[in-house]
Amino acid sequence: MTEDAIGTLLMKVAGSDRAAFRRLYAESSAKLFAVLLRILGTRAEAEDALQEVYTRVWLRAGRYDPARGAGMTWLVAIARNLAIDRLRSRPASRTEADSEVIDTLADDRPDAENRLLVLGEARRIVDCLGQLEPDRSAAIQGAYLKGLSYQQLAERHGVPLNTMRTWLRRSLLRLRECMDQ
Amino acid sequence: MTQRPALPPDDDADALAAEYVLGVLDLPDRQAAEARAKADPAFAARITAWEARLAPLADDIAPLPAPDLLPQIEARLFPKPARPRRGFSWRFLAGGLTAAALALALLLAQDPPSEGPQLTASLTAETQALQIAARYDVETGTLTLTREGGAPAAAGQDYQLWAIGADGVPASLGLLRDAAVTVEAQGLAPGIVLAVSLEPAGGSPLAVPTGPVLVTGALAEATSG
Repeated sequence: MTEDAIGTLLMKVAGSDRAAFRRLYAESSAKLFAVLLRILGTRAEAEDALQEVYTRVWLRAGRYDPARGAGMTWLVAIARNLAIDRLRSRPASRTEADSEVIDTLADDRPDAENRLLVLGEARRIVDCLGQLEPDRSAAIQGAYLKGLSYQQLAERHGVPLNTMRTWLRRSLLRLRECMDQ
Repeated sequence: MTQRPALPPDDDADALAAEYVLGVLDLPDRQAAEARAKADPAFAARITAWEARLAPLADDIAPLPAPDLLPQIEARLFPKPARPRRGFSWRFLAGGLTAAALALALLLAQDPPSEGPQLTASLTAETQALQIAARYDVETGTLTLTREGGAPAAAGQDYQLWAIGADGVPASLGLLRDAAVTVEAQGLAPGIVLAVSLEPAGGSPLAVPTGPVLVTGALAEATSG
């Protein structure tokens, strides 16, 4: 955590340091833009959301607590929450059409959902996801990376909504047990 | 949406936090989870823990060249004081004025003083596009509000601003009909909560909000810089 450059910048931003805010944008916007584009599906929406994300970052930086996580984790959470809120606020008819755009974008590499960097901190979640049934592991990654809803997951996996929820919740708890060991 | 399958209470809370972080919930369930996180620090801690657990999944997302949107972002966050303001329109409700513990008067738009102790608040809510920044100059009693996100209220509705002090009683500060406003408000102090509710056109018919409270924020001393 002492080497968390993003976290250090966030603490300066919390002190209304505009130069730090510019450096933070330079250091983190490419990552957050990619996160937003995966979930929202179009550049126009991702760009609009990116402005909103950094507006929130400036306004909320005082709430960032380095003891509770890395700076980038905090930023990604803000970006994902905003993108998912926007996704869930869309009219249902649009959600269907856009989910195909999202799939096209996110599935541009073979086996995209199963390709994870097996490095450092990522190793544990990869190991633990590997202990779940492959379709459940894929559902968790699809939801995290693309913002898939329970409804979309149920359709993809061909199971009723309540079944999907039951086994995803159980899978998440198993994932927690494995990762917290 | 779906019924939550039965789990022991601890696991149920943790699974809900995980579902929230994962993003699979529909909007009402997301909003309920956010409301719970605000009221329940233990639940908020579960969310933070899940954000950390799942964060490595984002490692797989390769950064993409992002457009330089800093000029637009900075224009939203740091409006130039000299820029002429347009479209301010605050109306005070007769009842609100007399009921208000705060003496308020509408001022013509003027540049906010840049010196002296300042209180600020950002009025936001997790699932609400509406965002309003408030800045209060303690010496002059000038409260400036700037809408930084979200749309104006729909036809037939108005945003109404309230100040809620330690007594918990909301006092109307008027209607927010456009992008920014400056009012005189004596006696605001750190800890006073500013809130915006959605009301019928013309504002709440009562001395309290009748519509949903959209965004809130507490006044706090501004950090210098």
